[in-house]
Amino acid sequence: MTSGGLADLMTPLVMGILLGGLYALIALGLSLVFGVMKLINIAHGDLVVLGSYIAFSAITYLGMDPILSLIFGIPLLFVMGFAIQKFTMNRALKISMEAPLIIAFGISIMLQNAFQIIWTPLSRGLTTSYTLKSFTVSEVCIPLVYLLDFILALVVMLCLREFLKRTYLGRGIIAASQDRVAAQLMGINTQRVYAFAFAIASALAAVAGVFLGMTFPFTPTSGVSFLILAFGVVIIGGLGSILGTFLGGMAMGLAQTLGGYFFGTAAQMLVAYVVLLVLLAVRPQGLFGR
Amino acid sequence: MRRDMIPLLVGTAILAALPLLGMPEAWVLYLFVFLIYLAVANMWNLLAGYCGLIALCQHGFIGLAGYVLAIWAWVGLPLYLGIILGGIVSSAFALVISIPLFRMKGVYFAVGTLILPEALRIVFLLWRPVGGMMQGKGAGYTIKGAIGIGLVEVFWLALVIGIGSVFLMRFILNSKLGLGLAAIRDNEKTAGSSGINVFKLKLFSFVISAFVTGIAGAVFFMYQGHIEPRVAFDIKWTIIAMLATIIGGMSTRDGPVLGALIVVFMYFLLARFGEISLLIQGMILVLIMLLAPQGIMGSMRKIKERFPLQRRTTL
Repeated sequence: MTSGGLADLMTPLVMGILLGGLYALIALGLSLVFGVMKLINIAHGDLVVLGSYIAFSAITYLGMDPILSLIFGIPLLFVMGFAIQKFTMNRALKISMEAPLIIAFGISIMLQNAFQIIWTPLSRGLTTSYTLKSFTVSEVCIPLVYLLDFILALVVMLCLREFLKRTYLGRGIIAASQDRVAAQLMGINTQRVYAFAFAIASALAAVAGVFLGMTFPFTPTSGVSFLILAFGVVIIGGLGSILGTFLGGMAMGLAQTLGGYFFGTAAQMLVAYVVLLVLLAVRPQGLFGR
Repeated sequence: MRRDMIPLLVGTAILAALPLLGMPEAWVLYLFVFLIYLAVANMWNLLAGYCGLIALCQHGFIGLAGYVLAIWAWVGLPLYLGIILGGIVSSAFALVISIPLFRMKGVYFAVGTLILPEALRIVFLLWRPVGGMMQGKGAGYTIKGAIGIGLVEVFWLALVIGIGSVFLMRFILNSKLGLGLAAIRDNEKTAGSSGINVFKLKLFSFVISAFVTGIAGAVFFMYQGHIEPRVAFDIKWTIIAMLATIIGGMSTRDGPVLGALIVVFMYFLLARFGEISLLIQGMILVLIMLLAPQGIMGSMRKIKERFPLQRRTTL
């Protein structure tokens, strides 16, 4: 904290807002699954990190650009998500209320340890020629990736919204999330819809994972932190509104960057967590909750 | 209830005498670990099996109590008091944190509890309440005076806590609190409309479980002799509690006992495989939840229901 006054504060402010895009992107998959199946996939954070690791392998062994590597990442995670829903979550929903939660937890553990075995506990990152560049706008210096994250988040969210509105599957998803029984009566195969929703959410996680990996370093256990952040986004932003998710993302992003500014980088996540807990204590339905 | 307790008391006496009768140290160690796991699993069962609260913060209580003990011992105060204080601080923390936490239901609650140990880990990574920095700026502490405590003594402590948790569960489940909890377990809404103060019972259970889990953690770290954030707040504690309870049978009184036994046995078998053992544990958790969610005790209960020992002469 040196002289420079306002400009000094501007950097974390702008970065927090841009970071919000990334967090909104991460939360998107979580939000989709929750909206449709009313279950918060605890393993979502780990799926995102899986996306990061797949991209990492693509860079290391194939020399690919991480964004290009999504050609592998998206289908891989799509299939994985589909399989998870079809073979585990589907049955879990019928067993009891707690079953999906516990199973998701089990999957999360499996993923984290698989990461540890395959990619070692070392901290990894996705670095390319452009991930280290930054640009300056009136005294505020911002890493390029942050802007990329933000723009991409916008693009993805708009795409998702169009998909949900215009395709048969998309509208099936919306219908199933509004009223499962009515949707079934209208001839929608809700099992398939759920499986696809989960698959799409996982594919979104793949995308989020790539951009996450370009922005932050990650380890096998990073999934938990990102789950918590995504959870915060969903809670704050409420469900079903693109704007809400964005705002939720920005809220978490700002909590983190401003926390880092005032309390040091080591404490930034802590600030975000505390803010989230306080928010939950004061207004559990979130700022835009229904 | 008296007759019920006799085998338990006898078993306890035998266990207590074992290390004195020349049982190999490795076995005492396994029993020690079993007893600590038992306590933690019982408390998780109390929350998840009887209150419907899937708590993922057990490792938070364990680490917190462990650090309280470490700080307490560092300043030179008696260890045994430190253990109890660890439990008290854990339960106080649980009380405070219940304010935001209990506003959430189901999965929200679970994720909320997940936040706690993460936050605590960062807190203790940054905060050095006593003592100077260790070499390499580590965040760990040695538990002063712990070296002076022999394995047998620590074993007896664990025995008290582990068997104590079993007695505690029996006591709770036979009390009014337990009746209320069983009602909540079976159907929360109905229990609420029957006049049970669901919130109060849940809060009570949460605080109690924090206390016992905390004490168990403190004793564990007393044995271990040192503590650091990564080990203290390792999610493996919650995993063990969950695995033991679910394998043994969630919502059953004795499920965690059987489950803890099996989990320790599994550790014994899989120890050489390192990280894969954790992967396998996750897999087992998923498989059991899918195939036999009631666990062993739960399945036995179902079998008993189908084939009762006594013939029913009336419906």
